[in-house]
Amino acid sequence: MKSKKTLLIRIISIAVLIAIAAAMFVIGRGHTVYFDNKDLEVDGTVYEAPYQIEVFVNDESVAKLKSGDRGMVSTMGQDFSMVLHITPEKDAKKVGSAVALKLPYNLDGIILNLPALLGGAGEDVYLEEFIPAPVVEDADEEVIVTDEFEMPMGDE
Amino acid sequence: MSKKTGTKTIQKGKVGAFLQRSSVPILFILICAVCIPMAGLSPSYLINEIVTRMGRNAFLILSLLIPIMAGMGLNFGMTLGAMAGEIGLILVSDWQIVGIPGMVLAMIISVPISILLGLFCGKILNMAKGREMITSYIISYFINGVYQLVVLYLMGSIIPIKHSSIKLPRGYGIRNTVSLLEMRQKLDNLIPLTIGGVKIPVMTFIIIGILCLVIIWFRRTKLGQDMRAVGQDMEVARDAGINVERTRILSIIISTVLAGIGMIIYLQNMGNIATYSSHSQIGMFCIAALLVGGASVDKASIGNVFLGVILFHLMFIVAPRAGAAITGDSMIGEYFRVFVSYAVITVALVMYETNKRKAKSMESEQLKQEQLEEENK
Amino acid sequence: MNEKAINKKEKSWFGKLVESYGLPRLIITAFLLLLLILAPFVGADLPTQVSNIIARFSWNGILVLAMVPMVHSGCGLNFGLPLGIISGLLGATMSIEFGFTGPLSFVMAILIATPFALVLGTVYGWLLNKIKGGEMMIATYVGFSSVSLMCMMWLILPYKSPNMVWGLSGKGLRTTISLEGYYNEVLANFLRIRIGNLDIPVGTLLFFTVLALGIWAFLHTKTGTAMTAVGSNPTFARAAGINVDKMRLLSVVMSTWLAAVGILVYEQGFGFVQLYMAPFYMALPAVSAILIGGATVNKATIMNVIIGTILFQGIVTMTPTVMNNMIHMDMSEVIRIIVSNGMILYALTRKTEGAK
Repeated sequence: MKSKKTLLIRIISIAVLIAIAAAMFVIGRGHTVYFDNKDLEVDGTVYEAPYQIEVFVNDESVAKLKSGDRGMVSTMGQDFSMVLHITPEKDAKKVGSAVALKLPYNLDGIILNLPALLGGAGEDVYLEEFIPAPVVEDADEEVIVTDEFEMPMGDE
Repeated sequence: MSKKTGTKTIQKGKVGAFLQRSSVPILFILICAVCIPMAGLSPSYLINEIVTRMGRNAFLILSLLIPIMAGMGLNFGMTLGAMAGEIGLILVSDWQIVGIPGMVLAMIISVPISILLGLFCGKILNMAKGREMITSYIISYFINGVYQLVVLYLMGSIIPIKHSSIKLPRGYGIRNTVSLLEMRQKLDNLIPLTIGGVKIPVMTFIIIGILCLVIIWFRRTKLGQDMRAVGQDMEVARDAGINVERTRILSIIISTVLAGIGMIIYLQNMGNIATYSSHSQIGMFCIAALLVGGASVDKASIGNVFLGVILFHLMFIVAPRAGAAITGDSMIGEYFRVFVSYAVITVALVMYETNKRKAKSMESEQLKQEQLEEENK
Repeated sequence: MNEKAINKKEKSWFGKLVESYGLPRLIITAFLLLLLILAPFVGADLPTQVSNIIARFSWNGILVLAMVPMVHSGCGLNFGLPLGIISGLLGATMSIEFGFTGPLSFVMAILIATPFALVLGTVYGWLLNKIKGGEMMIATYVGFSSVSLMCMMWLILPYKSPNMVWGLSGKGLRTTISLEGYYNEVLANFLRIRIGNLDIPVGTLLFFTVLALGIWAFLHTKTGTAMTAVGSNPTFARAAGINVDKMRLLSVVMSTWLAAVGILVYEQGFGFVQLYMAPFYMALPAVSAILIGGATVNKATIMNVIIGTILFQGIVTMTPTVMNNMIHMDMSEVIRIIVSNGMILYALTRKTEGAK
């Protein structure tokens, strides 16, 4: 009887742990979002970059992009929202615009083309995967395998 | 007559024992008192450092308490838990799970690994009763070899690792350092608080506080009582119907799991993993800190942990500077603090063994006396 | 029926072998033999490999031999080996500092190291007598403490020889000191045999043999048997009128001195003096070597030393070559760590009556 109960408790706690782990997978997924304030031409439609866009995420200014600039922010989870302050021409009045979108789970780095996004283009137009340029490096980085403390300092 | 002298010696012993027990902390207070003015560091810098290090290390050191309670000495095998934590973090950073959720996930991954390693360690320690410490010490090396096998050869070839930022260019194996930039101090800064220029990692302290409460509660549970009984005398405990082997294994498992979680907290503060060396030193530093706090091989309290962190790390911060000021060579200070760490452990071990022998000989003396009295009657 | 009986007989024969030789040792021997057989197929030159093993045996033999006296007197495995190594290093550096060169510098290094070894060994032995039963853990940390203390000393001590100190600041010893012109290979070159790729440092082997025979002979003297008695049954030894503490102290001093000589022999083969953190982990390979040779925590013979050193060094030298040529993956370091520490664990977990 008692062993049955402990078994049950164990199963439940393991299930809870797995559930938490699964939840962490979803809410904890990190993405790096890059903003491009660049002209984009797709199928003859031209999305022109405004003079300047300031990007706010969580009420924090993360990037001030002149035309042709790229900015970035690291985010967590798939729901992504930002506020854009757009200055169409030099010395023109700022226009605010709130944008919320879902980021695809499987992409680490995501490029958003802001002019296209604001121009109402589809996701396949404004969203692009960011592929980091392969870093050129020495083919074999020396790995020191050891069962020793090299210089037992380490706590800095 | 004999009774009177008996109480007297006991009283004398008490004072002496107290002095002996606190001799290491007193010595450290003296070292720090000499070194601090020479180091010339500002008090606010020192306080900041101590608070940071307290948040970073306290959880790890607390994980040592339970095996001491069970009479298994200083658990050099806590390194096993640290390795489990590192494996969790490596996987999580490959999956790009960031921030607090990443930490939680890493902890959940580390727990089953820690349990398995703890089980292994506990089983072996049961086969090596009476020399648990040296055995757990060698186990930590042995498992370090296994860890390297997994991380250096299996990760990337059998265990999928996607990102080239943590994988070695040759296609398998993990790089020497894995960055935890997206996780860095996320826990410490969850509830931001700065008092007088001192940044306080509130959430980390809350977690450490909870662990302290759990340990206090645990001592009163049936299992906790059993552990203390086993720690006092294995044979007596066995006669009382306690499953000694199981209790000992459990104490090691709990310690390993806590060490794994502690390591994750430690590394989120550091912001990167030194894949092949982070864990190798952690055991020694934690044990030295605990001993500096006045703990001994068979007795350690939560108070020892905090006092130990403060004193040991104060020495750690000021020694290189002071060494440089005295000799003009900063390396001497570096070596000095390493020497002190080892020397503290050595002295504590020697004191423990001599006390054990004294207690034993006193016991046999008492037995002799009783026998004599019996005969005289 | 008949077949079954034979089978049974064979099994018991095999079982006996396993029992007398020890399963881990059997596996390691088989592994080494396998490596030796594989070596020619993967393109490694067998004579070169064998010479390597012999050379490394000659370097390390005495360090492993240093385990024997302490095991005999019941002090357990000498994890405090670094203490003796430090005496040896002091001898080496001072011999160079005083301007001795060539073979004479080797003799002087041993002579200078001896008083250090005797003093440090006495202190160490005295300490170990106070903490009977907890020797191994404390020995480990005595070793660590002394190495880190010496790290400071190498910087502070007033060494002047330009071959040893840092060129820039003119003070503090370098981490590695070349023995070129001093005692590099002095023993190895004595009566050295070279046939094709086979290279045997006869002198070093002779030196090892002399010391090993010395220890063997000592263990058969009255004092030696008394020491063994202390190790196998201290209560009985005390009853027989043997001064237990004195015997243990003697064994520790002997171990420490052997370690000091051992590191000097190692250096003459290796060609360099390594200071600072280098002695830190020299104890573990020596400990696991003697255990692989079949010693236990309280029993060790000269044969254990020889077999163990050959097996351990054989695996250390053979695995990288064979593995690299076979699968282009150098896992030898990891294998070494797992095998050597696994061996120590195996020895520690075996029930031994001597453990108090």
